[in-house]
Parts: sequence; C-alpha cells; structure tokens
Amino acid sequence: MKVSLFITCLSDAIYPRVGEAMVRLLARCGVRLEFPAVQTCCGQPAFNSGYWEEARESARTILKAFEDSDFVISPSGSCTGMIHHYPKLFENDPVMLEKARELQAKSYEFTQFLVQVLGVTDVGATFPHKVTYHPSCHGSRLLGVKDEPMALMRNVKGLEFVPLPYAEDCCGFGGTFAVKMADISGAMVTEKADHVKETEAEVLVGLDMACLMNIAGNLKYRNEPVRVMHLAELLAEGANLL
Amino acid sequence: MSAKTAAGTVKERAELALNDDFLRKAVKFTTERLRNGKKNASAEHGNWDEWRERGRQIRLHTIAHLDYYLNQFVNNARANGVHVHFADTGADAVKIALEIARRKQAKTVVKSKSMVSEELHLNDALQEIGVEAIETDLGEYIIQLAGETPSHIVIPAIHKNRYQIADLLSEVAGEKLEADTTVLAGFVRKKLRENFLEADIGMTGCNFAIAETGSMVLFENEGNARMVTTLPKTQITLMGMERIIPSFEDLEVMATLLPRSATGQKLTMYMSAITGPRRSEDADGPDEMHIIIVDNGRSLQLGDPEFQELLNCIRCGACLNACPVYRHIGGHAYGGTYSGPIGAVLTPALNKNVAEWDDIANASSLCGACYEACPVKIPLHEMLIYLRRRKVEKGYGNKLEGAGMKGFAAVMGNAKRYRMAVKMGQIGQKLVVRDGGIRTKLGPLKGWNSYRVAPSLPKMSFRQRFATLDQEIREGLREMSPDVKSRMEEAIKRRKQDGGGHGHG
Amino acid sequence: MAETHADWLREMEAKSRAKQSAFVGGISQRLGRPRPTDAPAQPFRGAPEFWRGFEWTPEERIERFAGNWRSVGGHVARLPDMDAVREFIAGKAAEMGARYIVRQNEPELAALGLEEALPEAQVSVWNTDPDICWKARSAEADFGVVMADYAAAYTGSVAVLSSKDKGRSVSLLPTVLMIVLPVERLRTRLGEVLTEFDRAGRKRLPAGIHFISGPSRSSDIENDLTIGVHGPGVVYALIVG
Repeated sequence: MKVSLFITCLSDAIYPRVGEAMVRLLARCGVRLEFPAVQTCCGQPAFNSGYWEEARESARTILKAFEDSDFVISPSGSCTGMIHHYPKLFENDPVMLEKARELQAKSYEFTQFLVQVLGVTDVGATFPHKVTYHPSCHGSRLLGVKDEPMALMRNVKGLEFVPLPYAEDCCGFGGTFAVKMADISGAMVTEKADHVKETEAEVLVGLDMACLMNIAGNLKYRNEPVRVMHLAELLAEGANLL
Repeated sequence: MSAKTAAGTVKERAELALNDDFLRKAVKFTTERLRNGKKNASAEHGNWDEWRERGRQIRLHTIAHLDYYLNQFVNNARANGVHVHFADTGADAVKIALEIARRKQAKTVVKSKSMVSEELHLNDALQEIGVEAIETDLGEYIIQLAGETPSHIVIPAIHKNRYQIADLLSEVAGEKLEADTTVLAGFVRKKLRENFLEADIGMTGCNFAIAETGSMVLFENEGNARMVTTLPKTQITLMGMERIIPSFEDLEVMATLLPRSATGQKLTMYMSAITGPRRSEDADGPDEMHIIIVDNGRSLQLGDPEFQELLNCIRCGACLNACPVYRHIGGHAYGGTYSGPIGAVLTPALNKNVAEWDDIANASSLCGACYEACPVKIPLHEMLIYLRRRKVEKGYGNKLEGAGMKGFAAVMGNAKRYRMAVKMGQIGQKLVVRDGGIRTKLGPLKGWNSYRVAPSLPKMSFRQRFATLDQEIREGLREMSPDVKSRMEEAIKRRKQDGGGHGHG
Repeated sequence: MAETHADWLREMEAKSRAKQSAFVGGISQRLGRPRPTDAPAQPFRGAPEFWRGFEWTPEERIERFAGNWRSVGGHVARLPDMDAVREFIAGKAAEMGARYIVRQNEPELAALGLEEALPEAQVSVWNTDPDICWKARSAEADFGVVMADYAAAYTGSVAVLSSKDKGRSVSLLPTVLMIVLPVERLRTRLGEVLTEFDRAGRKRLPAGIHFISGPSRSSDIENDLTIGVHGPGVVYALIVG
C-alpha cells in the first residue's frame, strides 16, 4: 500500500518540522510515508480568490503527484478540504473530474488518518505542559475533524488541556483575506490571541499551519511567549521522535 | 437597491466600524447572546441536523417548483379576496404601493418589519407623495427616527445604545426621557398606539406564504405586526416571490427552525397566519388586502446551479450572529440592505452587478461559520468564492492581483519552478529577517505585519530534507501490525464500495 | 382612470391576471422546463418522521406548557372548572382595579357570568352591537378574555382563531389578556395544531389565526428585554380541567 505525504507548500517551505514529525510518527506505526516531489500547492489561494484557471494549474501537480497513491495524508484540514473542491474545479473536464473524485476519496487530514483509518489514539507521548487547541475552521467545520485531535491529546501523558474560549471562531487568516482586508483580519487575530492568553497555556496546538502562523505572528508581535506548534510536532516531540 | 449604495468601499466602511468602540462592543455583545441562544435552543430541541436537512429539502423542493407553488398561492389568495400584484423590479413594487396609497387617500401608513420594504426604500417614496410611513417595530422605529438603515436583519438597531435612543425619543416626546429601557419602550407603546388606531394603511412583510391556502404568515415578538394587520382598513403585504412553502404542515418545520435560529426562542411570541381580508361579519381586520409579490432580482438566481439555493434563505440572521467579520464591522459596513454573510452574497446576486459590489465578497475569511449556523444549510462560504470567480471571469478582477495569480500559476504549476522560488526566498529573505522573523511593513507585507511578525524560511525546505529523512526511516522502519494493515485494506475496500468521500463532499 | 374605487380594483385585478402568466412563465423559463400543470410530488412534507409519533401524557403536557409559558414571563393558573375561572378573573379584576373588560362572544365565556361576578366593571361582549367601534372598545379595555381554540405544549403556545364572534383585537389591545384553555385542547406538538388547518382547507380558514406564546416583548434596546411593547404585557393562561 502506498501512503503519500501531501506536505502543503506552507509546511514545505516554512514549517518542514511538521512533515518530519508526520513521517516519524507514521513510521512508528509501520507506515512509510513517501513523498512525490512533483507536488506543489493545492491551489487554494487562487481558487478562493476566484482565479480558477490558475488554481487548476496548481491542482494538476497534486493530481499527478498522487495518481497511484492509496492514501494521501496532509498536515492541513484546509488543503485537504481544497482537494474536496477539485471535482467542482474540474466539473467541465470529464477526465480530470474522475481523477479529482479518486483523489478526494483517498485524501485525509493527518489526525483523521491516524485515528479513523489506523485506529491509533495513543502514540506513547509525554508532554508535561499546559496546552490549548485552536480547531481550524476548514478542518473542523467542513471536514468534520473534531474528535480526532481530542482523542490524541487525551492520551498524551502529563498534558494539561485547557479549552480555548470561543475556540470555533475563525482566527482571521482566510488566505488573501488577511492581506486584502488587513484591518478586519487584524481585529480577528487579535481577539483570537487574546483568548489564547486568557487560557494561560504554554503551548497552542492546531492542525493547520496557516492559522497557526497567523496566531503565532500576532503573539510574537505582542511579545507573548506562547509556543505555537502543530499537533504532529507535539506528538513526535512527546514520543522523543524529534 | 443600488440607488442607495453606501459610499466608499467595504474596506473604508469597515475601518470606520473598527474604530467605533461602542459599535464593536454592542454588536459583539448582542450577536454573542443570539448565537448562544441559538446553540442552546437547537441543542435542547435535539436532532438539529435532521431538522436542518428537512428544512433544506422543503425549501429546495418549493424553489425548484416555484412556478407551480407561486401560481397556486396567487390563485388561492385571490379566492380569499386578496388583491395580488406582481412587481418585476423594486420600482414596480413602489409604483403599485404608491398607487394604492393614493387611491385610499392615505395620510399615514403603519408598518411592521419588512426587509423587502427596506430593499425598495419605500418610506422615502411614500414621504415624497405626502404619506407618512411609520415603522412600528421598536428597533425599526428607532432607526427611522435616526434616519438610518437596519444594521441587522433581526435586531435593526443593534448599533445604538440607550442614551442615543433616549435622545431620539426625547425629541419626539418634547421632553427629556430617562435612558431606561422600560421608560423608552413605554413611551413608544403609547405613541404608536395612537398611530395604529388612526392609520389608513397597515403594511407588512411576509415570512412565509402558504401555497395551498393562500395564507401569509408573520413571526414577531412585539405585537406590532398583529396591530398592523388588525386595525387599519387597508393592508398591504410586501412579499418576496420566494417566500412560499406548500402547506401548514411544512410551516411546523419553518417554525421550528426560524425562531430558534434567530433568537433562540421556541417560538416567537406571536405567529399569525392571515388568510384574506376580514370576513364580512368580522368586526376587525382589514376591509381590503393587497399582496405585492416582488421579484427584484430574485428570479435571476433560478436555474443558476451555484446560486439557486440562495432563495432558500428564511431571513433568520443566524449567519450574521455567527460571522466573525460581522461581529467586528457591524451591518452598515456591508453597504447594502442585507448585511453579514447572507448580505455579502445576496446583494451582488440580486443586483447582478458583480463589479459594483466587488469588494463585499472579499469581506470574508471563508471560515464557514455561516454555513454551519444556517438552518437551511445554504453554502454561503462557497457562494462567496463563486462570486469572486465570476468577477474575475468577467474581467473585473484587480489587475495587480490578476498578475500575481498568473505568477502563482506559473510557479505552482511546475515543481521545478516552485523549488526555485523557495530557494530564492531562502536567499532573498536574508535582507529582512531579524531575530527569526520579518517585521518590515513595506510593500505587500504592510497589512500582515501591522498586526503580526511574519515567519522566516528555514535553511532547508521539507523537500530538501526528505531524502536524508527517508533513508533513516527505511533503515529503522517497524513492521506494520496486522491490525493496522487490515484497517487500511478495509478503508480502501469501503472507498471502492461507496465511492469514497469522508468529511464534506 | 377608473371612476370608483371598485372600478379601479377591477382594473388592477385585470392587470394582475394578465401579468400573472408572464411572471410565473418567467420562472418556468428560468427553471428551464415547461410550467407543471399537476401538483409536484413533495418528497418531504412537514416534520421528520421521528417527530410525528412524539406525544406527552396529558399531565406532562400541562406541566410543559406551564413551564414554557412562565419562562417567557407569562402567568399560569391551573383551575378545576369554569366556576374557578370566574372566581379567578373576578379576583384579579378586583386586585388590579380592572374597570373595563372585553370578552369574546363565546358560549363558554357567556356561561361564566362575568357580568354578575363583576358588578362594578363594564363587561363588553365582542361585536354584539353594530354601533360600537369594537377596536376602540378593546383598546380601552383593562382585561381581554378569550378562549384558546388550540394549544401546543412543546412551544408553550395557544392559538386563537378569528370570527364574527371572536375579535382579533380582544387578544391584542387590552392591557391584560386572560386566555381560558380547556385541557382537552392542549396538544403536544405545534404540528398537531397546524395540520388541522391543512385538513380544514382554504375555504374553512378564518381570516386570522394567531399563535400567542406569552406577553409582548422586545429586546431592541441594547438587547435588554422589555415586556409589553405593543401587545398585552400581562398574560394569563388559565388551564381548566
């Protein structure tokens, strides 16, 4: 069985540690993640901005990269969610449409794969810190990844979980929204970071580096010493894999 | 609607709102209460998703057969003695309403809340022919005195505080009224009671119209819609052409979804079904009843697979209360009659002027909270993307952005070029990285870095590291447990059976 | 230009009928198919199936109705019979100093004998004298007394239907509203009441059907709840039997 890593451009270029954490964690379950290097970006920035022709250019690299994979795992609910939009994106191209449907059926967000497919909820990690969690909108709301991260965190020894107030509210990232509507986005991320502060958590985890980059950027701007990381990093670190 | 386009761009209007501390607090406080009310009410009721799905199905079916049901409604309403009129445009609807007012030699019209009437700017038109139009919903009355438009579908005066309201009402009273809710509401009760009894025409909106009986249904809490449909001799109802449901049985579903989604109530204090004018022996109710059926851009959505569902909207305002953008900028920043996520889609859709309203669709982070809150599951977050796409396709896209996206496609369409771009970034950033982050507010980073520190690129990307990592993994890879293996095989099998798809489709 | 108002209405009517086929035809055209002549089969009608069998016992209905009614600021009294209703209303009238009372012209309410029980007050019976403006009479009333035609416990709502003998104003304009609700008219679900109107059919529907779920209220000023904005602020449900 071929299990492939869809790294996402953001984790590839800026947060490679997330990919490494996934590779090491899955190796522990006996799953070797392979990495097709022809992949680039899911195309979401262009898709969401209305530039579908450009989005298709980018999406084709993803469709090609994972053509013969059995499972495609990504560290982002949002980018996995974008793959769910491929059938719509290629609705007028019967050949690509078929491929898009196939890819959609075999694409998983990281914790979704770990918990739903592999049935793993305990990776044997210890992480003696106060942790809060931001459920990213696309992953939790549109992909329905809600219980999986909770189950994984519950089994981390020493982890003290503090619920994030108004957790389900958007952090204000929204891709190009953060640039086009900078002030609205700024107000949203400031509110989100305020809530993170309220929890007095040492660590903020999530399942989407875009949102985490947004919140971390605001926390850093305000000199708030909260560590921000992907749940895969937390698990791998806790299991002494990183 | 476009006649009264608010000035400036969404961005500029949002900036005003973001700097208005009271407005932000007020909107936050109220939307918070409403959305919590909705959450509790839907949880208490139980099986919420089944009810939502049922509501969606009923609306989908009705809209898909709107020609049949609207025709049925019209014939039944006529048989009940109602005078039915059709208006293709807002201007047509205004013309009909004014003609009735003139014919009745009306001096005053008392109105209960109607978003369609806001769409038509009917009050101004009535004023021009010397007819006084009085809004009687407490919130609408307040904003009418202030000369403003509603900033929320359900709570029109959400942006006003009690002191501002006390000042407005004191002017009407001719004496200083205390800024106390009970005092203020008490004054309005007395003042408007006279108007109800004296008005020549009562004007309402319409929450639902029942095709099989020709009845129109109104939901309200204050009793003003009942006043308006009980006391004046003539009643005019403005009805969006899509308000139809087939039967009273279907009304149970709408009555379950609407109040819970709007305010968290099990039912509004009043729900009235009006079936024609008063019967000849009745001693109250209107002698003459008119229903003006308004298109005004609605039919443009029919047959459009991406937007037809927009007509399923039951105007509960739940998407506004759930929306983080609305919470920060309030309703007026949207610049149209309808605000919030529904307004961001409905306004350009009804006007069919994507270009003019281009920036509204951008005022969303596409977080999907609106879709999750919607009692009839309208995918507003997707419609916003479709609007953006149509704008680009029609050539109204931002030139700079368009060029940027061409560049994006060039880089992302080819892994080699992508790799080069990352490498260039790794080298180029050296000029601006300080302390592991980028703080410069120059150029495209201005917006982002006004609130954040941008991350820097690490020395090596994941793909640059992968070969070494994979080598190490292969050497120490554990045997896959038979349990995990069979689970994976099972997943593949299941996918083949039911065509796959987990999460949303 | 039409001579009389009736002429004008006829003119408008003709215009409307002419416009109807174009308006409705436009919809068919947009939907991309000919206009259906037969009623389309509704794949889903009314509440979900699991909801239809849901029913509380009579005692539970009363309890739930009362709980809902009170939770929105309404008052409830559970009374054994109509004699108790008379006493209750008379007692409240004395307590609040009610001088003007208007009631629906219904046999159950006539049998109450409020006139004898309240010799001090003026009790008017809806629409019994053509020379009286009944809307005004209701507006000046302290108490309005009506029978509930139906009620639904799940939402805490009563339904009142209009007729020549049952004014809409009586449940709307007085300061205090007394609703007499015989227990046998209390159902569990709102749908049980609503389907009655489908069953009755258009021709037998009254002009006004009003569901009332408590006192008039508004939260339009700073989201601060105010009771009694336009309709009655004090509302009693008198559950009898």
